[in-house]
Amino acid sequence: MTAPAAERSLTLEEVGQAQRGSRPDEVVIAVSPAFADPFTKTIVEVPHAEVIRQILAGIEEQGVHARMIKVWDTADLAAVAHIGARLSGSGISVGLLSRGTTMIHQRDLPRLSNLELFPQSPLLDAEVFRLIGSNAAQYAKGESPAPVPTRNDQMARPRWQAKAALLHLKEYECIVAGRRPVEVEPVISRLS
Amino acid sequence: MIVVGVDIGNSTTEACVASVVEGRVEYAGTALTRTTGVKGTPDNTEGAVSAVRRALNGRTPDLVLLNEATPVISGLAMETISETIITESTMIGHNPATPGGSGIGVGTTVSIDALASATGPTIAVVPAGWDFDDVAHEITSSGADVVAAVLAHDDAVLVCNRLRTPIPVVDEVGAVEKVPLGMLAAVEVAPPGRTIRTLSDSYGLASVFGLDPDQTRQVSPVARALTGNRSAVVVRTPSGDVTDRRIPVGTLTLTGAGKTQRVDVDAGAEEIMATLARVQPLDDATGEPGTHVGGMLAQVRDTMTDVTGQPAAEIRIRDVLAVDTVVPNEVRGGLAGEVALENAVALAAMVRTSRSRMQVVADQVAEALGCRAEIGGIEGEMAVRGALTTPGTAIPIAVLDLGGGSTDAALLTSEGSSAVHVARAGELVTKLIDSELALDDREQAEAVKRYPLAKVESFFHVRHEDGTVQFFAEPLPSHVFARVVTMTPEGPAPVQTRHTVDHVRRVRREAKRKVFAVNALRALRQVAPQGSLRLLDFVVLLGGSALDFEIPELIADALAPHGVVCGIGNVHGTEGPRNAVASGLVDAWVSR
Amino acid sequence: MTTTEGRRSKRTEILEARPVNLDGFVEEWPEKGLVAMESDFDPTPSVRVEDGRIVELDGRARADFDFMDTFIADHALDVETAEEVNAIPSIEIARMLVDPRATRDEVIAVGRGLTPAKILDVVKLMNVVEIMMAMQKMRARRTPANQAHSTSAKDNPIQVAADAAEGALRGFAELETTLGVVRYAPLVAIALQVGGQVGRGGVLTQCALEEATELELGMRGITAYAETISVYGTESVFVDGDDTPWSKTFLAGAYASRGIKMRFTSGTGSEVQMGNAEGRSMLYLEIRCILMAKGAGVQGLQNGSISCIGVPGAVPGGIRAVAAENLIASWMDLECASGNDQSFSHSSMRRVSRALPQLLPGTDFVCSGYSGVPNADNMFAGSNFDVEDYDDWNTIQRDLQVDGGLRHVREPEILQVREKAARALQAVFAELDLPPITDAEVEAAVYAHGSGDYPDRDVLEDLKGAQAVMDRGVTGLDLVKALERTGFHEVAENLLTVLRQRVSGDLLQTSAILTDDFVPLSAINDANDYGGPGSGYRLEGERWEQLKKLRHVTSAENPETEVS
Repeated sequence: MTAPAAERSLTLEEVGQAQRGSRPDEVVIAVSPAFADPFTKTIVEVPHAEVIRQILAGIEEQGVHARMIKVWDTADLAAVAHIGARLSGSGISVGLLSRGTTMIHQRDLPRLSNLELFPQSPLLDAEVFRLIGSNAAQYAKGESPAPVPTRNDQMARPRWQAKAALLHLKEYECIVAGRRPVEVEPVISRLS
Repeated sequence: MIVVGVDIGNSTTEACVASVVEGRVEYAGTALTRTTGVKGTPDNTEGAVSAVRRALNGRTPDLVLLNEATPVISGLAMETISETIITESTMIGHNPATPGGSGIGVGTTVSIDALASATGPTIAVVPAGWDFDDVAHEITSSGADVVAAVLAHDDAVLVCNRLRTPIPVVDEVGAVEKVPLGMLAAVEVAPPGRTIRTLSDSYGLASVFGLDPDQTRQVSPVARALTGNRSAVVVRTPSGDVTDRRIPVGTLTLTGAGKTQRVDVDAGAEEIMATLARVQPLDDATGEPGTHVGGMLAQVRDTMTDVTGQPAAEIRIRDVLAVDTVVPNEVRGGLAGEVALENAVALAAMVRTSRSRMQVVADQVAEALGCRAEIGGIEGEMAVRGALTTPGTAIPIAVLDLGGGSTDAALLTSEGSSAVHVARAGELVTKLIDSELALDDREQAEAVKRYPLAKVESFFHVRHEDGTVQFFAEPLPSHVFARVVTMTPEGPAPVQTRHTVDHVRRVRREAKRKVFAVNALRALRQVAPQGSLRLLDFVVLLGGSALDFEIPELIADALAPHGVVCGIGNVHGTEGPRNAVASGLVDAWVSR
Repeated sequence: MTTTEGRRSKRTEILEARPVNLDGFVEEWPEKGLVAMESDFDPTPSVRVEDGRIVELDGRARADFDFMDTFIADHALDVETAEEVNAIPSIEIARMLVDPRATRDEVIAVGRGLTPAKILDVVKLMNVVEIMMAMQKMRARRTPANQAHSTSAKDNPIQVAADAAEGALRGFAELETTLGVVRYAPLVAIALQVGGQVGRGGVLTQCALEEATELELGMRGITAYAETISVYGTESVFVDGDDTPWSKTFLAGAYASRGIKMRFTSGTGSEVQMGNAEGRSMLYLEIRCILMAKGAGVQGLQNGSISCIGVPGAVPGGIRAVAAENLIASWMDLECASGNDQSFSHSSMRRVSRALPQLLPGTDFVCSGYSGVPNADNMFAGSNFDVEDYDDWNTIQRDLQVDGGLRHVREPEILQVREKAARALQAVFAELDLPPITDAEVEAAVYAHGSGDYPDRDVLEDLKGAQAVMDRGVTGLDLVKALERTGFHEVAENLLTVLRQRVSGDLLQTSAILTDDFVPLSAINDANDYGGPGSGYRLEGERWEQLKKLRHVTSAENPETEVS
């Protein structure tokens, strides 16, 4: 009954320096320096292609536009997301780190605050990413969606704390200090 | 000498200190505390003593006057009296937020993995687990004439955007596996901001499915149920339909004025209150065992027995208040978690006893404070006296004490006074708000009741329910962004609802009107000369709920057509609607 | 030998399914600081003093100091002895630590002037057994003790009180709580305080909150001490938390001004977790934290990785480093509350082995804390041990003849203190005009295991009551009066005595706790005099008799029965 999950790849093609958007019905997806290259999946091996595909689907289903940027000079999730929010025409952004940690941000909020935060990257799967995209789009439209339900796992720490630290360090290495954010076109190709 | 008046209410105990010198009264201080135990029982001593001590602020009392408080136990129950049932999975009307395409598609329901062999106009039915890209691909490449689709996931727009020509698509159908296959069906989606025209019309359904007059009549409830939707699916099943069933919830037996009357609870509040009016003054009320109402009425009786020691058989329910309301409930047989607003009746009941143990309280208070203590008088009368200290009032005067346990009305004329008590209102309002908005959260419902609403439009401004905009220098907290909020003293608090500010406001005001205004009139009619409100000149509102930001105006509005001057009490010109009974006690004693 | 493709060994399958294989393990990355203690990137020890000032520290000139270097150089290190002691060969110092004949005072005198890199150099020469030997001598207080968490997934004050009472009865000297809903704090802190005094006299309580609120509760006497005042090993991470060593020291001073006990918290792994280890090993950075705490003048430190335990736990030798950081805190003459307080492994074996370096030699607080409620109710995101491990813990104490601060208590006694705690709290709430606690709730508290076993409370009313506590200025003395007025004389007396300590200031001394009889036990009057076999704290006499008791012990007198 269920079609086998397709394998897809994600390439982020640079379009130019990221500009502030003017259309009020857009959500900016802001990703960290190592996203899609060199990393290709989250800490629990959800492919980045699927992550972006689901977030875009959530936004598209709500009838809202999406624009993607890559942030180069920081790997701090709040900073990445807030940069996206300030460039977004609606003021709403979805920020992502390569390992999957995600947040929905808004341009008038303090940098260390957020609209919704998903701090336990091991607990995020395709379904949750779709809901995140959908909620971001609803915020952009001025609606008030119920926050995406978050799961909690006490044993997440023993299992994932060190791998998360390692992934974070690797991401940090990809930082290019001083480089401005770049607008990118997500190209998702099917491999199977 | 120092005289202290103490009013023990259901929720609060108030004390008023006065210094009486040669018949002249000088009020010296007031205090408020939570009533300890059930009103009218020895447990009240603690609260009374505490309130008196705080009001005295160091002075020594000579005499404490307590009101003749009789215990009041209140109860509240709600019965849902209707239910909606869809049979044979014949319709889907959950109105998802993002359907796809527009227009109407009529065809045979076929599962998406059988599209290749489908003939004629086809409606693709897609179960969970299918990716939207694959769905679009399958529809496009199967060669079938797909005129519409029904999806399990929230993918309608995604699928539509990937088709060569858009078709109407209804999504978020949780139980899509129950959609009958191989049957004639229709899917209709209206453009954004509009509603469907065909499937919500009986003749529309007749045209689509080629129905004869009998069949049209049979299918018309479906059309009615889908009115106002932006999208819908109807499947032509042999005898499927949607019914609105009344749920029998037992009878209520009301006894009074020498008569006994029975009324079905599912007949609705109006019928219940009309029956009640016929047996006024109420002697007793009982419900049927096994029902919510019956259980509640039995329980308030039991609680009163526990509190007073009076045998249950001797306890009487003195008042009931029934209010019609709606409760959002999941529809039986629905395929997508459809929710319908079912009718419900909320019933508040009040039981009193004449047996008072106030003398015990008085004795204990006297001992604790080292002074004399007396029972001063009946609440209603004392309340009126206290209310008379409001500037601008004169006899004849009626008071409405909107307290925690009951709503009390009393009238004072030159000939004397009379008083009456009806069932508690505040809790009922909260319950109505909670159920009609499906909040399932008493704290939020309370906040909606007490504070005005606003919509947070950005981090720096809110639009109040009256349309005015308020700006903030500091950004608002992130959890209120884009939400409907109540403007509490601690700041905006979110209301978990998808409704607009207007809708929530309407629910709130209706709930208050249905309860407070109706109850106020009922009570006043019972004390008014010849039962005529027109013969009341002045009505003063007292008690906690008189401090609500709109209840007084709702009551005043209800009274205005009867030519009554109605306003909030201002005891001593300084205390507002509080402390009337306590001051009244002092007053009455002085004038003896 | 033939290879069988695709066919798995049955044994492998069984091993794959073992809980330990759910834990996370990573390879070291020394350049980034993802390494426990053996890193080529840690600085070489060095120190230079000029005119009574340290002008070079571990290869850095003063002009290049970050604020941690500055603070350590100006406040932690003994300038008089620095150059001299840093010149002593590390192997000699390491042997002094291990050798029972070198006294604690002698070792401390040397340690006082050592730089962070030198301290690291010394402990790198020690294996885990040697670290434990040293710990035995270097802990500040002679008598070991233990600390527990008492929290509730529903922030239910009765649960917190009942479990606090049971924890106190079982032997914990300190109890810690925190909240899911911050506004509940006043009621839960009161519950911890009241419950804690019922189990036995002399228990100290804390409520982990945002700094300002925690300080206020402490000043009011609703809590007795504070612990979760965090410090970090690199300037960048410290600043990320909006603090500096000076701001933390100021906060410590605020507590001291009221005679309130407090300690800092630090732990290996926090800096690398936040991506800013500046290329240093976890232990090196932790040593900086320890010295910073020393320089601030606080009496003690909670360390042992704490909430970052998954990070050292994932690299080779990580638990050895954790044992070392506890030792170093003690070596620096600080009280050490030594971790074992955060969920760390799916494997029961690993949970125990991680705790042995603290349990066997004994520390000031072997756990900081043990979960005195089921882990599902633990609002610190789960501890290494919880209530279901009590019997195992007591058995291990008996097996190895070590004092881990706990003892077995029979059910009737436990039920009795739980009921008393719930009743006392019920009375206090009534006296203070707080939302009532029903008899049904008291009954539930006696027999309950977790928050699901208690009736739900009216949270709205509780929160209003909590606000009223703050608005009305309720203090610890009001709790004492309430307990006294309602007939709980003993509990009132216990609480008053605990509060009195802040006047005497005894709890400001290193490693101070109170015995059942309210005698302060600290490094001053219960100094650790370990000097080899036959000396120091020994589990013997009456205390040993107590620890021999377990739930089921067959009687020697009558083997058909059990010891009652």
